[in-house]
Amino acid sequence: MREMAYYEAKFEALHEIMAADERVHLINGTFLSLSPHRHIYQKLVKKYPDRIMSPPISELGFCGLATGAAMAGLRPIVDISTGSFIFEGWPQVANEAANAYYMSAGQTHVPVVFHLFHGLRGGGASQHSASPQAMLWNNPGLEIVLPSSPRDVKGLFKTAVASDNPTIFVDHVHLLDLKGDVPENDAPIPFGVADVKRKGSDVTVISTSYMVQRCLQVAEKLASDRISVEVVDPRTLVPFDMATLMASVEKTGRVVIVDETHQSCGVAAEIAARIAETGFDKLKAPLRRVATLDVPVPYSPPLEEYIGPREDRIIEAIRAVLR
Amino acid sequence: MLPNVSRETLLDWCRRMFIIRHFEESLVPLHDQGVFGGHYHLYIGQEATGVPALSCLRADDYLFTTHRNHGHLLARGAEPKRLLAEILGRGDGYNKGKGGSFHTVVPSLGFLHTSAVVAGIIPLATGTAYASKALKNGRITVCLFGDGALEEGAAPEALNLASLWKLPVLFLCENNGKYGAGRATGATPSSTMAAFPLTDLPTAYKIPARQIDGIDAGTVHAAISETVEKIRRGEGPQFIETQTVRWPGSETNWPSVAQPTDSSLAWDVSGVAEKVREWYRSYDPLLIFIRELVDAQQATKEEVAAIEKKVKAEIADAVSFAVASPYPKPEEAARDYFA
Amino acid sequence: MATKRQNPTELVSFLRTMWLIRAFEEKVSALYAAREIVGLLHLGIGQEAVAVGTCSRLRTDDYVFGGHRSHGHAIAKGADINRLIAEIAGRAAGYCAGKGGSMHIVAMDAGFVTATGVVGGTIPLALGAAFAAKEKGKGQVAVVFFGDGAGQAGPFHESLNIASLWRLPVIFVCENNGYAEFTPLSSHTLVERLARHAQTYKIPSSTVDGNDLLEVRDAIAKAVQHARAGKGPAFVECLTHRLRGHYEGDPAKYRELSDLAEWKQKDPIARFIRELKRRKAISDKEIEGVEREARDLVERATQFALASPWPAGEEVDSQVTA
Repeated sequence: MREMAYYEAKFEALHEIMAADERVHLINGTFLSLSPHRHIYQKLVKKYPDRIMSPPISELGFCGLATGAAMAGLRPIVDISTGSFIFEGWPQVANEAANAYYMSAGQTHVPVVFHLFHGLRGGGASQHSASPQAMLWNNPGLEIVLPSSPRDVKGLFKTAVASDNPTIFVDHVHLLDLKGDVPENDAPIPFGVADVKRKGSDVTVISTSYMVQRCLQVAEKLASDRISVEVVDPRTLVPFDMATLMASVEKTGRVVIVDETHQSCGVAAEIAARIAETGFDKLKAPLRRVATLDVPVPYSPPLEEYIGPREDRIIEAIRAVLR
Repeated sequence: MLPNVSRETLLDWCRRMFIIRHFEESLVPLHDQGVFGGHYHLYIGQEATGVPALSCLRADDYLFTTHRNHGHLLARGAEPKRLLAEILGRGDGYNKGKGGSFHTVVPSLGFLHTSAVVAGIIPLATGTAYASKALKNGRITVCLFGDGALEEGAAPEALNLASLWKLPVLFLCENNGKYGAGRATGATPSSTMAAFPLTDLPTAYKIPARQIDGIDAGTVHAAISETVEKIRRGEGPQFIETQTVRWPGSETNWPSVAQPTDSSLAWDVSGVAEKVREWYRSYDPLLIFIRELVDAQQATKEEVAAIEKKVKAEIADAVSFAVASPYPKPEEAARDYFA
Repeated sequence: MATKRQNPTELVSFLRTMWLIRAFEEKVSALYAAREIVGLLHLGIGQEAVAVGTCSRLRTDDYVFGGHRSHGHAIAKGADINRLIAEIAGRAAGYCAGKGGSMHIVAMDAGFVTATGVVGGTIPLALGAAFAAKEKGKGQVAVVFFGDGAGQAGPFHESLNIASLWRLPVIFVCENNGYAEFTPLSSHTLVERLARHAQTYKIPSSTVDGNDLLEVRDAIAKAVQHARAGKGPAFVECLTHRLRGHYEGDPAKYRELSDLAEWKQKDPIARFIRELKRRKAISDKEIEGVEREARDLVERATQFALASPWPAGEEVDSQVTA
């Protein structure tokens, strides 16, 4: 077992992926965003100059190019960079890549990965802070994966590339410096397998991406109040592991869902609906969601902080379901 | 003029053009009788572009086309009965009824995906070209679209990528707006594009571009075969605009056949309704082709008529097959959405 | 090249505005380094002549749209620097009550409609303003500033096409500084000059030295006259250089050092001062005075901003819809 930073594990994954399969091409390359460590990415660029392309600012163009290349036998990873920019290439992702396999009755495969950074980043304002995964979940035909730890990012990235389906890899810049354990010779993590990140008995907190880390911090705080919080991370929205979630819901009977997408029709909304439909009789209290408020993302730091799933709101929700 | 190919090839092209023509005409009554719904778009009047152009390709090349795709599929050798079944949404269709007219996919013929969104396929075509170049498999990509597609932002983005990364793709723009009602104003082929000629767009990106007469099979064949060779030699992307005169049956909201085609029209249009007579006399590429065929003594009028008769029978069979083909089971809708 | 009959007082006022922008950007940079400003910050140091040269030909009721590097555009159009710096610092007294930040400046009173964080994002919006202006018939024009990176974006082309077809009074001002984010233009396209695209859509265009204020002004004057006369759009490409990285904090290792040294020679402010002296329109003492005054104004605006309260959390729910 090694302790690694998230960005190191992600980079190691990319390295191994590129070495293992020469059909993998990278289109655009801000996989380490604006991290001070991003220069290590240049090692990859030097090693595989013919397989790493730096496109112009043309999301329709390069998302479509990656989709077409996937149809013709490559396995491209497109980096959309700031998640908001997926809106510039949306037709190619949602209306072409997502539909191709189904409407061809399985004749055409689209093994492309669309990588992006979502969420509140600190001063990103309304056009650099989107979390488009809820909208993408509502657009059938796409797999959606959200890692939250160094081990997860490495294992899930490999599965994303190996998948024959178009996959949205949803990352978060606040995870990049996180440290965690990554086993040597780790195996890829299958999609559709949730992870209990912290065992507990009083309340089930379901969370994704960077919010998993925030919930773990909250759980640690509440432990001293003798509240035992179980944190469950679905890791993939599509496919979705209902079984692990329901096992936890059965155990605790109390549910709080914490997610950075906006409240209306957000990720938390869908998870809540699924639990209410299948496990209503297991609930000892109404479930609660803690999501980003339904407003465009404001710039000013106190405003941006206000609208997100703040720690105090998570704690308040947990206490509420325990009453 | 007749293309410089063998008699056998000429007769094969003649057959393919007839297949396209009679297939397309057969859709109109089927639609009007409610046998299938939704929009559909016919390739009538463009057969002399599709058939010679696609004959220049290899079996493993990639093709992308649009909502006006039947002609391309049939020119490439798709089976009329399976294509028709797909248009009718039946289980025997190429996409088992899940795609319909707009989205017919036949990978064995090079059609991996068809988009109904104008210009939707243009970025995708740069993708298959990119893959072919990376995999060094010698395949080229032909991207077929109409004059309207260039108005979409996706088109210049894709042209830029193709030229920047020197991708092996032929952008084949079928401008069927020449003198077309409702589209042309004055000398502009399209009233919703400020760039004129359309070839100015690819030229800005240093992509070699030319305009050719899409009604003349010989011109099309010579230009496309020469251009395809350039791409295969690694010279990068190329752009060809073919110009045809829009079929009058497309002028109405839904396609309508004012005049069913028959090879005899190549020599006598007196029976054709006056408002469409000029088109059949001077701009119908199929009739022009068979006239040239007979004038050059590559076939007799009787031989041409015989080919047509066989095709008509084949299309009639395809219609019976498709109409009798069962709909897919409803549960099929919930299946097969992930690999 | 330079306009001969130019009122010296007016010329000095251009210098004042350029210095105001320069002082403003340098101050904002310092505030960012001191972490008084967070998020993403893109400075237009070195590109002042384009902003001032362009806006000097516009009316208050003309519409101006910018991009992510638009503090200078807003200032040149007449935005209040107190409210501007407060906005960039996220304070309630800012133009957008702290909700917009650097990339989303809106100063409607000055006719600066909006900036954007999306490359090319305001180009279609400028079309709309031009369309409305045409309907209103008061001779207004719309101006949109964007960089060379926007030339490869689909909406740029769509907008050129529509502007030309519908003869809209929009002026496209391209600040070609040779870099789109971190890569040179040559790695984005084979097309060296964005004006080439304007030609495709039959829009009259010119390419000028963007660091020569009077040359910019002359080209814009022609474009504005054309648009106001109802003859349709125009395109002015200004070749310039940004003297800093793409964003504050960008180590900009991708830039040639000699590249930068050469362009410091062409600094638009230094050049304009040389031109003013040549015309005997300004004395050395006045030159110093202009810079000092600009820095004073910026300093006072900064103090105003930093003393302003932060917006209250509950404000997030205000103005979501009208």
